[in-house]
Amino acid sequence: MIPEIGHFALALALALALIQSVVPLVGANRGKLLWMRSARTTSIGQILLVSIGFAALVRSFVVSDFTVINVAANSHSLKPMLFKVAGAWGSHEGSLLLWVLILTLFGAGVSVFGSNIAESMKARTLAVQAWISVGFISFMLFTSNPFDRVFPAPADGNDLNPLLQDVGLALHPPFLYLGYVGFSIVFSFAVAALLEGRVDAAWARWVRPWTLAAWMFLTAGIVLGSWWAYYELGWGGWWFWDPVENSSFMPWLLGTALLHSAIVTEKRDAFKSWTILLAILTFSLSLLGTFVVRSGLLTSVHAFAVDPERGLYILGLLTLSIGGSLGLFAWRAPLMEPGGVFRPISREAGLLVNNLILGAATGTVLFGTLYPLFLEAVTGEKISVGAPFFNATFIPMAFPLILLMGAGPFLSWKRADLSGVLQRVKFVIGLSVFATLVVWYLLERGPLLAYISVLLAVWLLLATLREWTMRIRLFDIPLAQSLRRARNLPRAAHGMTLAHAGMAVAMFGFIGSSAWKTEEVVFVAPGTVIEIAGFDVTFEGVERVKGANYFADRGSLAVMRDGEPVTTLYPERRYYPIAESSTTESAIRSTLAGDLYASIAEPASEDAELSGAWTLRILYEPLVNFIWIGSAMLMLGGALSMTDRRLRIGAPKRKSAIPAVAAPAE
Amino acid sequence: MIFAWMGLLLVIAVGFVVFPLIRGGHGAPVAADTTPAVLIDQLNEVQRDLDRKLISASEATAAKLEIKRRILAASRRSPAEETAATGKGNGLMLAAGLFVPVLAIGYYMLMGSPEISSLAYADRQAERAEQQKIYDLTEKLYARLMAEPDGGASEGWELLGQTLYRLGEYERAIAAYETVTAREDARSATFSMLAEALISAEQGIVTPRAEAAIDRAVELDPDNLAGSFYKSMALAQRGEEATAHDLLLSMLNGAPGYAPWMDTFIAQANQIGEKLGRDAVTVADFAEVGGAGAGPTAADVAAAGEMSVEDRAEFIRSMVDRLAVRLEENPEDLDGWLRLANAYSVLGEEANAVSALKQAETLLASLSPDDPRRDAVAKALSEMEK
Repeated sequence: MIPEIGHFALALALALALIQSVVPLVGANRGKLLWMRSARTTSIGQILLVSIGFAALVRSFVVSDFTVINVAANSHSLKPMLFKVAGAWGSHEGSLLLWVLILTLFGAGVSVFGSNIAESMKARTLAVQAWISVGFISFMLFTSNPFDRVFPAPADGNDLNPLLQDVGLALHPPFLYLGYVGFSIVFSFAVAALLEGRVDAAWARWVRPWTLAAWMFLTAGIVLGSWWAYYELGWGGWWFWDPVENSSFMPWLLGTALLHSAIVTEKRDAFKSWTILLAILTFSLSLLGTFVVRSGLLTSVHAFAVDPERGLYILGLLTLSIGGSLGLFAWRAPLMEPGGVFRPISREAGLLVNNLILGAATGTVLFGTLYPLFLEAVTGEKISVGAPFFNATFIPMAFPLILLMGAGPFLSWKRADLSGVLQRVKFVIGLSVFATLVVWYLLERGPLLAYISVLLAVWLLLATLREWTMRIRLFDIPLAQSLRRARNLPRAAHGMTLAHAGMAVAMFGFIGSSAWKTEEVVFVAPGTVIEIAGFDVTFEGVERVKGANYFADRGSLAVMRDGEPVTTLYPERRYYPIAESSTTESAIRSTLAGDLYASIAEPASEDAELSGAWTLRILYEPLVNFIWIGSAMLMLGGALSMTDRRLRIGAPKRKSAIPAVAAPAE
Repeated sequence: MIFAWMGLLLVIAVGFVVFPLIRGGHGAPVAADTTPAVLIDQLNEVQRDLDRKLISASEATAAKLEIKRRILAASRRSPAEETAATGKGNGLMLAAGLFVPVLAIGYYMLMGSPEISSLAYADRQAERAEQQKIYDLTEKLYARLMAEPDGGASEGWELLGQTLYRLGEYERAIAAYETVTAREDARSATFSMLAEALISAEQGIVTPRAEAAIDRAVELDPDNLAGSFYKSMALAQRGEEATAHDLLLSMLNGAPGYAPWMDTFIAQANQIGEKLGRDAVTVADFAEVGGAGAGPTAADVAAAGEMSVEDRAEFIRSMVDRLAVRLEENPEDLDGWLRLANAYSVLGEEANAVSALKQAETLLASLSPDDPRRDAVAKALSEMEK
């Protein structure tokens, strides 16, 4: 019964979405308040109904109801509970339901928290959001129904891909989707602004918290995925430039540009069409990412052609939403009133250059991601575009970006005094160069690119801190006064400092763990000692252990430094008999200075197997944890900005709303 | 029960649509134009920055001037945009409320499966115990066959293979069949069962190994239906659709009368034929048409499949009558009487069923004492007369 209730709830949600996609829009055009306001209740109704559907699916997974095909295909009675729950979004159908859930969550969020948004704008925004809802709920119901049933039920399920049975990956999709789909509401705001023909400071302010929220979640999603790849795939890498990663990275890049562009729209009434365009493109890239991942296009162009129903549906959605919104943009954007003017040296100009670089970087990643697909479709030739391409193109673009990122906050709006700024940062420049030289002196090796990166990361960190200390006039005035100034500073200013500093911290992690990584891949037999980065690692052998739905070969590695025992690492090779596949569980000794990372793999030959030899991969990755710390700072900075009281400005006082409700009927 | 819950959901969903009607969209606008508020806040911010000496006095003055200009512009524009929200538009909301059940129920009737109840894994102990019993028996059989000094009887291995196949353990089923196919006396059927297991293990892909088994099955017995079927699958997967189609049709043409396997062949032939642009075939093209045979002809069955429930009952009725008439003319047909009795009991006409059985009883005398039909008639009669 429960799955059918869930199925029916989704059908009802589709009906509500269809109503919401038309009625409020007509209401906004005709000035009918009743119609406009209907969006409020329908959007709340949608989230309620989709939640019921989602709860029904989760429940089916929890109790292992194998009459639901999706459960039978992606779960197993022996699977640990956490992964039964996570299995609900581990499959294509389930992840679409999660997608829709988050979509409706953001719609309802605007309804509930958007009391400061003008009625017509809110109605139009929610109507556009409902268009997306209609597209995706119908896609789900007609091509990928999570509630398809089977009777009689199979004896047990097929189990979820064991690679996905992991805490990091259980949480990765929800966050990633909160980010991806979070940009839907920004997109809806942008399309609504085009329909309304008006973009101003208030609009930019309405959009900002939603952009920030989506950006934060997307950051969290990307970082979780990267963290998962780091410890689960067994290669010790945290970024592979594979198309799935790129599909989440592109909206992040453009979302970052949007975040900054919207500030200019708010403060200076400029960059209006640029901000709108970014909002449209960011969500379009989220859709593209969903399409690329969900259509099976990645496995092979041919796989897509064999079962094209899903792919074509979502391609249609993609064409309609991207084409439609860009068409609307082309038609309406020229009607926007031109905004404030600025000089080539100003904060606006800095943000513009930063935006252009982010846009170009996104274009590069997009090209590298899609080119192999086009080539395969046209010529049938299969190539892969990997790290060498992206490192050669993306990193050089990032350099000027980081340089500007440090300098930008010193520039004032409209026209800035370049020599004044240089005067303020000359100390920072000197210190950065000095710090880099010290690093060079200490390490004496490593590529030049790495030293340039170190220079820029130090510059970014110090410049960001310097700007913050200037604002609160630290050391300039008594400490108590400085602290008071810090308290009075808008939270968005602290947020910016934290996020920019977080970027610098993460850069240290990127640089350390790629340029100064040491790696050994060796055959080991019990008793073998490997020396790496000052550690002596002794392989003590492998034993067979049993888990809930797998069994594993667990290696033991005794780690010593200077004759003193440090720790014992237990890397595992797990085999999941039901899913008939294996995973690597790496063992990591984590410190701030760096990670000692070990993973084992089956012996390469039968001879080696007989003698008890295994393939051991052992790495030392300096500073790698700075990536996670820096990313956390980025998110925290976003969160801090979101709590800025200015984002709530324009909200009517609650008092005025209450009498309106309590007013007696005439 | 399930429909009560759905009804409740439906009411809630409609409630969300029509709620604004009840509460009314008549209250004062909660938020009109918030642009001036934002701009005034910006003005204050400039002042704060100036107080903190973050910007110079001249910068502050310029910024303030600009913001004030924008406030003016915004306030000039606002009144025009606050168009009067006249007209209630209740009708549209009611229509929208009506749309909800129409769409949701319409969709659910097409796509829902309310007849399948949910079944938690924990509630399936009995089924699992049963499954376990089959599994244990299979293991026992396997152990016994392995223990046999001559390697175990071929029939035993085939049975083991079939059981394992049904349990979804394709690899072990393949091993069981291969024990037999390695022997001199391997039958055609063993090879086709092996082929089936090999194909299932590869999710429907015919591997060269599977095709070798198919070829051997057909070689041993050209009339092996399973062999021909999988051969057509192999041909179609290799791109030789025309040959595959011809093979299926030739098997169908060779059929002496309607048999259930023909449906599978026809479905496969039509699937392949569609790609080739060939005309679809039906059972009627291959099985003989007319009332000469006993019971319904293939064409009748095909026709029955396309009918509504009422039409089908009517159709069966007429067939039963036809059979009854024929038996009046030719009362020596024991099987005919049994079929007629069975048909009557399906239609719920017990008296007629009993009389048909009585007729059959008179014909039993000429049968050998161990004929199973004796028991069948006795058993059916005792059940009817209870």
